[in-house]
Amino acid sequence: MRVTTRLLDGPPPLVEHDPPLAWVSDDQTIIGFGEAFRISAGLGTERFDKAQQAFGDWIEGCQIEDDFDLPGTGPVAFASFTFDSRSPGSVLIVPEVTFVKSRRRWHVTTVGDVDHARYLVTEERPEVERDRPRFAGASIPDVAWVEAVAEAIDRIRRGEARKVVLARDFALWSRTRFDTTRLMAKLIERFPHCFTFAVDGLIGASPELLVRTDGHTVSSVALAGTAARSPHPEIDERLGSELLNSDKDRFEHQLAAESVERVLEQVTASLSKDETPTLRKLDNVQHLATAFDGVLREPSSAMTLAGMLHPTAAVGGDPTDVAIEMIRELEGMDRGRYAGPVGWMDQRGRGEFAIALRCAEISGARARLFTGAGIMSDSLPENELEETRLKLGAMMSALE
Amino acid sequence: MTSEPNDDPTDAVLLDALEPEDDELLTLEELAETSHISTVVISMLVREGWIVPHPGPGGDRFDRADLGAVSAGLRLVEAGLPMAELLDLARRMDDAMDPVAQLAVDVFARFVRDSVEASAASTDEAATTLQRAVDEMLPATAALVGEHFRRLVVKHATARLVEE
Repeated sequence: MRVTTRLLDGPPPLVEHDPPLAWVSDDQTIIGFGEAFRISAGLGTERFDKAQQAFGDWIEGCQIEDDFDLPGTGPVAFASFTFDSRSPGSVLIVPEVTFVKSRRRWHVTTVGDVDHARYLVTEERPEVERDRPRFAGASIPDVAWVEAVAEAIDRIRRGEARKVVLARDFALWSRTRFDTTRLMAKLIERFPHCFTFAVDGLIGASPELLVRTDGHTVSSVALAGTAARSPHPEIDERLGSELLNSDKDRFEHQLAAESVERVLEQVTASLSKDETPTLRKLDNVQHLATAFDGVLREPSSAMTLAGMLHPTAAVGGDPTDVAIEMIRELEGMDRGRYAGPVGWMDQRGRGEFAIALRCAEISGARARLFTGAGIMSDSLPENELEETRLKLGAMMSALE
Repeated sequence: MTSEPNDDPTDAVLLDALEPEDDELLTLEELAETSHISTVVISMLVREGWIVPHPGPGGDRFDRADLGAVSAGLRLVEAGLPMAELLDLARRMDDAMDPVAQLAVDVFARFVRDSVEASAASTDEAATTLQRAVDEMLPATAALVGEHFRRLVVKHATARLVEE
Protein backbone atom coordinates (compact mmCIF):
# COMPACT_ATOMS: atom_id res chain seq x y z
CA MET A 1 0.00 0.00 0.00
CA ARG A 2 1.40 3.39 -0.99
CA VAL A 3 1.31 6.12 1.66
CA THR A 4 2.11 9.60 0.38
CA THR A 5 2.49 12.88 2.23
CA ARG A 6 2.32 16.17 0.36
CA LEU A 7 2.53 19.82 1.37
CA LEU A 8 -0.61 21.93 0.94
CA ASP A 9 -0.69 25.60 -0.03
CA GLY A 10 -2.84 26.57 2.92
CA PRO A 11 -5.60 25.44 5.25
CA PRO A 12 -7.77 22.93 3.42
CA PRO A 13 -11.52 23.71 3.31
CA LEU A 14 -12.60 20.37 4.71
CA VAL A 15 -15.95 18.73 4.28
CA GLU A 16 -17.88 17.66 7.34
CA HIS A 17 -17.53 14.08 8.29
CA ASP A 18 -19.71 12.11 10.67
CA PRO A 19 -18.37 10.62 12.82
CA PRO A 20 -15.28 12.81 12.69
CA LEU A 21 -11.74 11.62 13.29
CA ALA A 22 -9.77 14.47 14.74
CA TRP A 23 -7.23 15.81 17.20
CA VAL A 24 -6.93 19.54 17.78
CA SER A 25 -4.53 21.05 20.29
CA ASP A 26 -2.44 24.19 20.58
CA ASP A 27 0.44 22.46 18.82
CA GLN A 28 -1.14 19.99 16.45
CA THR A 29 -4.19 19.62 14.27
CA ILE A 30 -4.91 16.28 12.63
CA ILE A 31 -8.13 15.55 10.75
CA GLY A 32 -8.77 12.12 9.29
CA PHE A 33 -11.25 10.84 6.70
CA GLY A 34 -12.12 7.29 5.78
CA GLU A 35 -10.47 4.20 7.20
CA ALA A 36 -7.44 2.54 5.65
CA PHE A 37 -6.90 0.29 8.66
CA ARG A 38 -8.78 -0.49 11.87
CA ILE A 39 -8.16 -2.86 14.73
CA SER A 40 -10.04 -3.61 17.91
CA ALA A 41 -7.31 -3.75 20.50
CA GLY A 42 -9.11 -6.24 22.74
CA LEU A 43 -8.88 -6.61 26.50
CA GLY A 44 -6.16 -6.56 29.13
CA THR A 45 -3.23 -4.28 29.82
CA GLU A 46 -1.68 -5.65 26.63
CA ARG A 47 -4.27 -3.80 24.52
CA PHE A 48 -1.79 -0.92 24.09
CA ASP A 49 0.96 -3.25 22.83
CA LYS A 50 -1.51 -5.09 20.65
CA ALA A 51 -2.67 -1.88 18.98
CA GLN A 52 0.88 -0.66 18.53
CA GLN A 53 2.02 -4.00 17.13
CA ALA A 54 -0.88 -4.04 14.67
CA PHE A 55 -0.10 -0.50 13.53
CA GLY A 56 3.57 -1.43 13.13
CA ASP A 57 2.69 -4.55 11.15
CA TRP A 58 0.42 -2.53 8.89
CA ILE A 59 3.17 0.07 8.31
CA GLU A 60 5.56 -2.75 7.39
CA GLY A 61 3.37 -3.48 4.39
CA CYS A 62 3.33 0.16 3.26
CA GLN A 63 5.50 2.04 0.82
CA ILE A 64 5.88 5.41 2.51
CA GLU A 65 6.74 8.65 0.72
CA ASP A 66 7.19 11.34 3.35
CA ASP A 67 9.85 13.97 2.66
CA PHE A 68 8.91 16.00 5.71
CA ASP A 69 9.21 13.59 8.63
CA LEU A 70 7.38 15.93 10.97
CA PRO A 71 5.15 14.95 13.88
CA GLY A 72 1.97 13.71 12.26
CA THR A 73 3.22 13.39 8.68
CA GLY A 74 3.38 9.94 7.12
CA PRO A 75 0.85 7.36 8.29
CA VAL A 76 -0.96 8.38 11.46
CA ALA A 77 -3.11 6.29 13.78
CA PHE A 78 -5.89 7.60 15.97
CA ALA A 79 -6.45 5.46 19.03
CA SER A 80 -8.82 5.37 21.95
CA PHE A 81 -8.54 2.89 24.81
CA THR A 82 -11.04 1.75 27.39
CA PHE A 83 -10.53 2.86 30.97
CA ASP A 84 -10.87 -0.65 32.36
CA SER A 85 -8.68 -3.38 30.92
CA ARG A 86 -11.68 -5.73 31.21
CA SER A 87 -13.88 -3.57 28.97
CA PRO A 88 -14.05 -4.06 25.23
CA GLY A 89 -13.99 -1.10 22.86
CA SER A 90 -10.33 -0.07 22.49
CA VAL A 91 -9.75 0.86 18.90
CA LEU A 92 -7.02 2.07 16.53
CA ILE A 93 -7.84 3.64 13.16
CA VAL A 94 -5.56 4.78 10.34
CA PRO A 95 -7.47 7.24 8.15
CA GLU A 96 -7.50 6.93 4.40
CA VAL A 97 -6.75 10.65 4.11
CA THR A 98 -5.14 12.69 6.88
CA PHE A 99 -4.80 16.47 6.92
CA VAL A 100 -2.10 17.57 9.36
CA LYS A 101 -1.05 20.98 10.53
CA SER A 102 2.49 20.48 11.76
CA ARG A 103 4.99 23.28 12.37
CA ARG A 104 2.36 25.75 11.11
CA ARG A 105 2.10 24.15 7.65
CA TRP A 106 -0.64 21.93 6.30
CA HIS A 107 0.15 18.54 4.83
CA VAL A 108 -2.01 15.76 3.49
CA THR A 109 -1.27 12.06 3.71
CA THR A 110 -3.16 9.61 1.53
CA VAL A 111 -3.25 5.84 1.74
CA GLY A 112 -3.65 4.09 -1.62
CA ASP A 113 -4.95 5.84 -4.69
CA VAL A 114 -7.58 7.99 -3.03
CA ASP A 115 -7.81 11.61 -4.13
CA HIS A 116 -7.80 13.88 -1.07
CA ALA A 117 -9.85 16.46 -3.01
CA ARG A 118 -12.96 14.39 -2.35
CA TYR A 119 -12.76 15.64 1.23
CA LEU A 120 -12.51 19.30 0.26
CA VAL A 121 -15.58 21.48 0.21
CA THR A 122 -16.82 22.40 -3.22
CA GLU A 123 -20.10 23.97 -2.25
CA GLU A 124 -21.57 25.34 0.94
CA ARG A 125 -23.53 22.88 3.00
CA PRO A 126 -27.20 23.80 3.32
CA GLU A 127 -28.38 24.64 6.83
CA VAL A 128 -30.03 21.66 8.43
CA GLU A 129 -32.58 22.11 11.18
CA ARG A 130 -31.38 20.39 14.36
CA ASP A 131 -33.31 19.28 17.39
CA ARG A 132 -32.06 19.98 20.91
CA PRO A 133 -30.49 17.32 23.16
CA ARG A 134 -33.03 15.56 25.34
CA PHE A 135 -32.37 13.71 28.59
CA ALA A 136 -32.80 9.96 28.36
CA GLY A 137 -31.70 8.80 31.82
CA ALA A 138 -28.50 7.55 33.38
CA SER A 139 -26.86 4.18 33.97
CA ILE A 140 -27.48 4.62 37.66
CA PRO A 141 -29.80 7.18 39.29
CA ASP A 142 -27.84 9.97 40.94
CA VAL A 143 -29.35 9.04 44.32
CA ALA A 144 -27.62 5.67 43.96
CA TRP A 145 -24.45 7.45 42.82
CA VAL A 146 -24.51 9.61 45.95
CA GLU A 147 -24.82 6.46 48.05
CA ALA A 148 -21.87 4.93 46.18
CA VAL A 149 -19.85 8.07 46.91
CA ALA A 150 -20.76 7.81 50.60
CA GLU A 151 -19.70 4.15 50.59
CA ALA A 152 -16.39 5.10 48.97
CA ILE A 153 -15.82 7.81 51.59
CA ASP A 154 -16.47 5.25 54.37
CA ARG A 155 -13.99 2.82 52.86
CA ILE A 156 -11.36 5.51 52.41
CA ARG A 157 -11.84 6.53 56.05
CA ARG A 158 -11.38 2.89 57.05
CA GLY A 159 -8.03 3.01 55.25
CA GLU A 160 -8.84 0.82 52.25
CA ALA A 161 -7.68 3.50 49.80
CA ARG A 162 -6.59 7.11 49.73
CA LYS A 163 -8.62 8.21 46.74
CA VAL A 164 -11.10 6.79 44.26
CA VAL A 165 -12.61 8.51 41.25
CA LEU A 166 -16.27 7.72 40.66
CA ALA A 167 -17.89 8.54 37.35
CA ARG A 168 -21.48 8.83 36.24
CA ASP A 169 -23.15 9.23 32.90
CA PHE A 170 -26.09 10.89 31.18
CA ALA A 171 -27.86 9.48 28.16
CA LEU A 172 -29.24 11.97 25.65
CA TRP A 173 -31.37 11.65 22.56
CA SER A 174 -32.47 14.01 19.87
CA ARG A 175 -35.04 13.99 17.08
CA THR A 176 -32.24 14.62 14.59
CA ARG A 177 -28.66 13.36 14.40
CA PHE A 178 -26.25 15.18 16.65
CA ASP A 179 -24.12 17.58 14.64
CA THR A 180 -20.67 16.26 15.57
CA THR A 181 -18.78 18.80 13.46
CA ARG A 182 -20.59 21.63 15.17
CA LEU A 183 -19.90 19.99 18.53
CA MET A 184 -16.18 19.85 17.73
CA ALA A 185 -16.22 23.52 16.71
CA LYS A 186 -18.00 24.50 19.90
CA LEU A 187 -15.59 22.52 22.07
CA ILE A 188 -12.60 24.13 20.35
CA GLU A 189 -14.11 27.55 20.83
CA ARG A 190 -15.12 26.99 24.42
CA PHE A 191 -12.00 25.08 25.53
CA PRO A 192 -9.32 26.57 23.26
CA HIS A 193 -6.32 25.20 25.18
CA CYS A 194 -7.72 21.71 25.67
CA PHE A 195 -7.16 18.64 23.53
CA THR A 196 -10.25 18.30 21.38
CA PHE A 197 -10.61 14.80 20.02
CA ALA A 198 -12.94 12.64 17.99
CA VAL A 199 -12.19 8.96 17.60
CA ASP A 200 -14.79 6.42 16.57
CA GLY A 201 -17.70 8.35 18.04
CA LEU A 202 -15.92 9.44 21.23
CA ILE A 203 -15.85 13.23 21.11
CA GLY A 204 -14.60 15.59 23.78
CA ALA A 205 -12.25 18.28 24.98
CA SER A 206 -9.77 17.11 27.57
CA PRO A 207 -7.69 19.44 29.69
CA GLU A 208 -5.38 16.62 30.73
CA LEU A 209 -2.33 15.66 28.68
CA LEU A 210 -1.44 12.09 29.58
CA VAL A 211 1.67 12.02 27.42
CA ARG A 212 3.35 13.80 24.55
CA THR A 213 6.55 12.46 23.04
CA ASP A 214 8.77 12.91 20.01
CA GLY A 215 10.35 9.58 20.85
CA HIS A 216 13.16 11.17 22.89
CA THR A 217 11.52 13.67 25.20
CA VAL A 218 8.31 13.25 27.14
CA SER A 219 5.76 15.62 28.69
CA SER A 220 2.73 15.05 30.87
CA VAL A 221 0.41 17.15 33.00
CA ALA A 222 -1.33 15.86 36.12
CA LEU A 223 -4.64 17.53 36.85
CA ALA A 224 -6.63 16.89 40.00
CA GLY A 225 -8.42 19.13 42.45
CA THR A 226 -11.26 21.17 41.05
CA ALA A 227 -13.11 24.38 41.87
CA ALA A 228 -15.86 26.26 40.11
CA ARG A 229 -15.27 29.45 38.14
CA SER A 230 -17.08 32.74 38.51
CA PRO A 231 -17.81 35.43 35.94
CA HIS A 232 -16.78 37.95 38.60
CA PRO A 233 -12.96 38.28 38.54
CA GLU A 234 -12.64 38.84 42.29
CA ILE A 235 -14.73 35.79 43.16
CA ASP A 236 -12.95 33.75 40.50
CA GLU A 237 -9.58 34.69 41.96
CA ARG A 238 -10.78 33.82 45.45
CA LEU A 239 -12.05 30.42 44.28
CA GLY A 240 -8.66 29.77 42.65
CA SER A 241 -6.79 30.89 45.73
CA GLU A 242 -8.96 28.66 47.95
CA LEU A 243 -8.25 25.74 45.61
CA LEU A 244 -4.51 26.35 45.77
CA ASN A 245 -4.69 26.44 49.56
CA SER A 246 -7.16 23.60 50.09
CA ASP A 247 -5.55 20.69 51.97
CA LYS A 248 -8.09 18.25 50.51
CA ASP A 249 -7.47 19.36 46.92
CA ARG A 250 -3.70 19.62 47.39
CA PHE A 251 -3.60 16.06 48.72
CA GLU A 252 -5.83 14.79 45.92
CA HIS A 253 -3.55 16.52 43.44
CA GLN A 254 -0.42 15.19 45.09
CA LEU A 255 -1.66 11.62 44.60
CA ALA A 256 -2.28 12.27 40.90
CA ALA A 257 1.10 13.94 40.39
CA GLU A 258 2.91 11.16 42.25
CA SER A 259 1.28 8.50 40.09
CA VAL A 260 2.59 10.24 36.95
CA GLU A 261 6.02 10.86 38.46
CA ARG A 262 6.44 7.21 39.52
CA VAL A 263 6.07 6.07 35.91
CA LEU A 264 8.08 8.84 34.30
CA GLU A 265 10.97 8.28 36.74
CA GLN A 266 11.25 4.72 35.43
CA VAL A 267 11.62 5.77 31.80
CA THR A 268 13.47 9.08 31.92
CA ALA A 269 17.15 9.94 32.28
CA SER A 270 16.16 13.37 33.57
CA LEU A 271 12.79 14.67 34.73
CA SER A 272 11.67 18.13 35.77
CA LYS A 273 8.29 19.19 37.16
CA ASP A 274 6.50 22.21 38.56
CA GLU A 275 7.65 22.67 42.13
CA THR A 276 4.16 23.57 43.27
CA PRO A 277 0.81 23.03 41.55
CA THR A 278 -0.43 25.84 39.34
CA LEU A 279 -3.98 26.79 38.40
CA ARG A 280 -5.35 25.61 35.06
CA LYS A 281 -8.44 27.69 34.33
CA LEU A 282 -11.00 26.31 31.91
CA ASP A 283 -14.28 27.78 30.77
CA ASN A 284 -16.37 26.16 33.49
CA VAL A 285 -13.96 24.92 36.18
CA GLN A 286 -10.40 25.41 37.38
CA HIS A 287 -7.94 22.66 38.29
CA LEU A 288 -4.65 22.21 40.08
CA ALA A 289 -1.97 21.23 37.56
CA THR A 290 1.58 19.90 37.70
CA ALA A 291 3.54 19.73 34.43
CA PHE A 292 6.33 17.18 33.85
CA ASP A 293 9.05 17.27 31.19
CA GLY A 294 11.74 14.65 30.77
CA VAL A 295 14.29 13.06 28.50
CA LEU A 296 13.64 9.39 27.81
CA ARG A 297 16.34 6.85 28.69
CA GLU A 298 15.47 4.90 25.58
CA PRO A 299 13.29 5.88 22.64
CA SER A 300 9.69 5.00 23.37
CA SER A 301 6.38 5.49 21.61
CA ALA A 302 3.45 7.62 22.73
CA MET A 303 1.23 4.53 22.86
CA THR A 304 3.65 2.56 25.04
CA LEU A 305 4.01 5.48 27.44
CA ALA A 306 0.24 6.01 27.51
CA GLY A 307 -0.20 2.34 28.44
CA MET A 308 2.35 2.68 31.25
CA LEU A 309 0.83 5.86 32.67
CA HIS A 310 -2.79 4.73 32.50
CA PRO A 311 -4.71 4.85 34.81
CA THR A 312 -3.29 7.78 36.75
CA ALA A 313 -4.67 8.59 40.18
CA ALA A 314 -6.44 11.55 38.56
CA VAL A 315 -8.96 9.20 36.94
CA GLY A 316 -8.56 5.96 38.88
CA GLY A 317 -7.46 6.56 42.43
CA ASP A 318 -4.82 5.49 44.88
CA PRO A 319 -3.63 2.80 45.33
CA THR A 320 -4.49 2.03 41.72
CA ASP A 321 -5.47 -1.64 42.05
CA VAL A 322 -7.72 -1.04 45.07
CA ALA A 323 -9.31 1.99 43.42
CA ILE A 324 -10.03 0.08 40.22
CA GLU A 325 -11.74 -2.68 42.19
CA MET A 326 -13.82 -0.11 44.07
CA ILE A 327 -14.81 1.53 40.79
CA ARG A 328 -15.90 -1.82 39.38
CA GLU A 329 -17.92 -2.53 42.49
CA LEU A 330 -19.45 0.86 43.24
CA GLU A 331 -19.81 2.74 39.97
CA GLY A 332 -22.59 0.54 38.60
CA MET A 333 -21.70 1.08 34.93
CA ASP A 334 -19.01 0.41 32.34
CA ARG A 335 -17.11 3.62 31.62
CA GLY A 336 -16.17 2.37 28.19
CA ARG A 337 -13.51 4.69 26.77
CA TYR A 338 -14.30 7.53 29.17
CA ALA A 339 -11.18 8.38 31.23
CA GLY A 340 -9.06 6.17 28.98
CA PRO A 341 -6.17 7.38 26.81
CA VAL A 342 -7.18 8.96 23.51
CA GLY A 343 -4.84 10.43 20.92
CA TRP A 344 -2.69 9.92 17.88
CA MET A 345 0.65 8.41 16.97
CA ASP A 346 2.75 8.48 13.81
CA GLN A 347 5.06 5.89 12.29
CA ARG A 348 8.00 7.11 14.45
CA GLY A 349 6.01 6.70 17.67
CA ARG A 350 5.65 10.45 18.06
CA GLY A 351 2.27 11.47 19.34
CA GLU A 352 0.00 12.81 22.02
CA PHE A 353 -2.50 11.10 24.28
CA ALA A 354 -4.93 12.90 26.51
CA ILE A 355 -7.20 11.39 29.12
CA ALA A 356 -10.68 11.22 27.60
CA LEU A 357 -12.52 13.61 29.92
CA ARG A 358 -15.41 16.01 29.19
CA CYS A 359 -16.53 13.70 26.44
CA ALA A 360 -19.49 11.94 24.90
CA GLU A 361 -19.98 8.74 22.97
CA ILE A 362 -22.11 9.83 20.04
CA SER A 363 -23.94 7.62 17.62
CA GLY A 364 -26.41 9.34 15.30
CA ALA A 365 -29.18 10.78 17.44
CA ARG A 366 -27.96 9.17 20.67
CA ALA A 367 -25.25 10.36 23.03
CA ARG A 368 -23.80 9.23 26.32
CA LEU A 369 -22.03 11.89 28.38
CA PHE A 370 -19.57 11.10 31.15
CA THR A 371 -17.99 12.84 34.05
CA GLY A 372 -16.36 11.93 37.34
CA ALA A 373 -15.14 13.27 40.65
CA GLY A 374 -12.22 12.39 42.89
CA ILE A 375 -13.44 11.05 46.22
CA MET A 376 -11.28 11.61 49.29
CA SER A 377 -11.81 10.95 53.00
CA ASP A 378 -13.20 14.44 53.59
CA SER A 379 -15.37 14.58 50.48
CA LEU A 380 -19.05 15.40 50.76
CA PRO A 381 -21.36 13.49 48.40
CA GLU A 382 -23.41 16.58 47.57
CA ASN A 383 -20.29 18.54 46.55
CA GLU A 384 -19.13 15.72 44.29
CA LEU A 385 -22.63 15.46 42.80
CA GLU A 386 -22.65 19.20 42.12
CA GLU A 387 -19.17 19.04 40.55
CA THR A 388 -20.33 16.33 38.16
CA ARG A 389 -23.54 18.25 37.43
CA LEU A 390 -21.54 21.30 36.36
CA LYS A 391 -19.22 19.23 34.17
CA LEU A 392 -22.12 17.37 32.52
CA GLY A 393 -23.92 20.67 31.98
CA ALA A 394 -20.92 22.07 30.10
CA MET A 395 -20.87 19.10 27.75
CA MET A 396 -24.65 19.10 27.33
CA SER A 397 -24.68 22.78 26.39
CA ALA A 398 -22.01 22.10 23.75
CA LEU A 399 -24.44 19.68 22.14
CA GLU A 400 -27.20 22.31 21.88
CA MET B 1 -35.02 41.93 60.13
CA THR B 2 -36.24 43.33 63.44
CA SER B 3 -34.41 41.99 66.44
CA GLU B 4 -36.38 41.80 69.67
CA PRO B 5 -34.76 41.74 73.10
CA ASN B 6 -34.59 38.26 74.59
CA ASP B 7 -36.32 39.27 77.81
CA ASP B 8 -39.47 40.37 75.99
CA PRO B 9 -42.32 38.39 77.64
CA THR B 10 -43.87 37.51 74.31
CA ASP B 11 -40.63 36.00 72.95
CA ALA B 12 -41.15 32.71 74.72
CA VAL B 13 -44.68 32.45 73.37
CA LEU B 14 -43.57 33.19 69.82
CA LEU B 15 -40.71 30.73 70.03
CA ASP B 16 -43.13 28.14 71.33
CA ALA B 17 -45.51 28.85 68.46
CA LEU B 18 -42.67 28.34 66.00
CA GLU B 19 -41.75 24.95 67.47
CA PRO B 20 -43.30 21.87 65.81
CA GLU B 21 -46.50 20.69 67.42
CA ASP B 22 -45.56 17.13 66.83
CA ASP B 23 -44.27 15.49 69.99
CA GLU B 24 -43.27 12.39 68.08
CA LEU B 25 -39.92 13.41 66.71
CA LEU B 26 -38.08 10.84 64.63
CA THR B 27 -34.45 9.84 64.74
CA LEU B 28 -32.41 9.85 61.51
CA GLU B 29 -32.84 6.09 61.19
CA GLU B 30 -36.59 6.29 61.85
CA LEU B 31 -36.98 9.04 59.27
CA ALA B 32 -35.03 6.93 56.77
CA GLU B 33 -37.21 3.91 57.44
CA THR B 34 -40.46 5.88 57.26
CA SER B 35 -39.54 7.82 54.13
CA HIS B 36 -37.70 4.96 52.37
CA ILE B 37 -34.77 7.29 51.81
CA SER B 38 -31.30 6.26 52.90
CA THR B 39 -29.60 7.93 55.84
CA VAL B 40 -26.86 8.98 53.42
CA VAL B 41 -29.29 11.00 51.34
CA ILE B 42 -31.14 12.43 54.37
CA SER B 43 -27.82 13.55 55.90
CA MET B 44 -27.02 15.20 52.61
CA LEU B 45 -30.39 17.00 52.62
CA VAL B 46 -29.67 18.22 56.15
CA ARG B 47 -26.30 19.61 55.10
CA GLU B 48 -27.97 21.24 52.12
CA GLY B 49 -30.49 22.90 54.44
CA TRP B 50 -33.54 21.17 52.96
CA ILE B 51 -34.53 19.93 56.37
CA VAL B 52 -33.41 21.39 59.66
CA PRO B 53 -33.29 18.84 62.46
CA HIS B 54 -34.16 19.62 66.06
CA PRO B 55 -31.17 18.99 68.27
CA GLY B 56 -31.96 16.43 70.96
CA PRO B 57 -30.03 14.76 73.75
CA GLY B 58 -29.47 11.57 71.74
CA GLY B 59 -28.83 13.28 68.42
CA ASP B 60 -30.83 15.08 65.77
CA ARG B 61 -34.60 14.64 65.64
CA PHE B 62 -36.98 15.22 62.73
CA ASP B 63 -40.62 16.23 62.71
CA ARG B 64 -43.52 15.50 60.37
CA ALA B 65 -42.74 18.54 58.22
CA ASP B 66 -39.28 17.07 57.57
CA LEU B 67 -40.88 13.78 56.64
CA GLY B 68 -43.20 15.65 54.28
CA ALA B 69 -40.28 17.52 52.70
CA VAL B 70 -38.11 14.46 52.07
CA SER B 71 -41.12 12.47 50.82
CA ALA B 72 -41.98 15.28 48.39
CA GLY B 73 -38.38 15.32 47.20
CA LEU B 74 -38.47 11.56 46.72
CA ARG B 75 -41.65 11.85 44.66
CA LEU B 76 -39.94 14.32 42.35
CA VAL B 77 -36.90 12.07 41.99
CA GLU B 78 -39.05 9.00 41.41
CA ALA B 79 -40.95 10.93 38.74
CA GLY B 80 -37.68 11.42 36.87
CA LEU B 81 -36.06 14.61 38.16
CA PRO B 82 -32.35 13.93 38.79
CA MET B 83 -31.33 14.55 42.40
CA ALA B 84 -28.48 16.83 41.28
CA GLU B 85 -30.92 19.08 39.43
CA LEU B 86 -33.35 19.02 42.34
CA LEU B 87 -30.61 20.13 44.73
CA ASP B 88 -29.63 22.90 42.34
CA LEU B 89 -33.25 24.10 42.16
CA ALA B 90 -33.46 23.94 45.94
CA ARG B 91 -30.33 26.07 46.30
CA ARG B 92 -31.70 28.61 43.85
CA MET B 93 -35.05 28.61 45.63
CA ASP B 94 -33.29 29.17 48.93
CA ASP B 95 -31.26 32.05 47.50
CA ALA B 96 -34.37 33.63 46.00
CA MET B 97 -36.69 33.10 48.95
CA ASP B 98 -34.42 33.82 51.89
CA PRO B 99 -34.53 37.63 51.61
CA VAL B 100 -38.31 37.47 51.10
CA ALA B 101 -38.66 35.34 54.23
CA GLN B 102 -36.57 37.84 56.21
CA LEU B 103 -38.75 40.65 54.91
CA ALA B 104 -41.89 38.71 55.85
CA VAL B 105 -40.63 38.33 59.43
CA ASP B 106 -39.84 42.02 59.54
CA VAL B 107 -43.31 42.88 58.26
CA PHE B 108 -44.86 40.59 60.87
CA ALA B 109 -42.84 42.18 63.63
CA ARG B 110 -43.64 45.73 62.60
CA PHE B 111 -47.28 45.39 61.64
CA VAL B 112 -48.62 42.46 63.63
CA ARG B 113 -46.53 42.10 66.73
CA ASP B 114 -46.09 45.82 67.43
CA SER B 115 -49.76 46.41 66.83
CA VAL B 116 -50.87 43.55 69.12
CA GLU B 117 -48.53 44.68 71.87
CA ALA B 118 -49.83 48.21 71.57
CA SER B 119 -53.49 47.23 71.84
CA ALA B 120 -53.43 44.24 74.22
CA ALA B 121 -54.59 44.87 77.76
CA SER B 122 -51.91 42.65 79.23
CA THR B 123 -48.79 40.73 78.31
CA ASP B 124 -50.73 37.47 78.60
CA GLU B 125 -53.37 38.74 76.21
CA ALA B 126 -50.69 39.88 73.76
CA ALA B 127 -48.99 36.49 73.98
CA THR B 128 -52.24 34.61 73.34
CA THR B 129 -53.14 36.84 70.40
CA LEU B 130 -49.66 36.50 68.89
CA GLN B 131 -49.69 32.72 69.28
CA ARG B 132 -53.03 32.60 67.49
CA ALA B 133 -51.66 34.89 64.77
CA VAL B 134 -48.62 32.68 64.18
CA ASP B 135 -50.79 29.55 64.16
CA GLU B 136 -52.94 31.13 61.46
CA MET B 137 -50.30 32.93 59.47
CA LEU B 138 -47.59 30.27 59.14
CA PRO B 139 -49.77 27.67 57.38
CA ALA B 140 -51.42 30.46 55.38
CA THR B 141 -47.99 31.64 54.25
CA ALA B 142 -47.00 28.10 53.24
CA ALA B 143 -50.23 27.71 51.25
CA LEU B 144 -49.88 31.11 49.63
CA VAL B 145 -46.24 30.64 48.60
CA GLY B 146 -46.82 27.05 47.49
CA GLU B 147 -49.80 28.01 45.35
CA HIS B 148 -48.00 31.02 43.91
CA PHE B 149 -45.06 28.87 42.88
CA ARG B 150 -47.41 26.25 41.44
CA ARG B 151 -49.05 28.97 39.31
CA LEU B 152 -45.66 30.20 38.12
CA VAL B 153 -44.65 26.68 37.11
CA VAL B 154 -47.93 26.18 35.24
CA LYS B 155 -47.55 29.56 33.52
CA HIS B 156 -44.03 28.80 32.29
CA ALA B 157 -44.87 25.22 31.34
CA THR B 158 -47.83 26.43 29.31
CA ALA B 159 -45.73 29.06 27.57
CA ARG B 160 -43.06 26.43 26.77
CA LEU B 161 -45.67 24.08 25.32
CA VAL B 162 -47.14 26.84 23.17
CA GLU B 163 -43.63 27.80 21.97
CA GLU B 164 -42.77 24.23 21.01
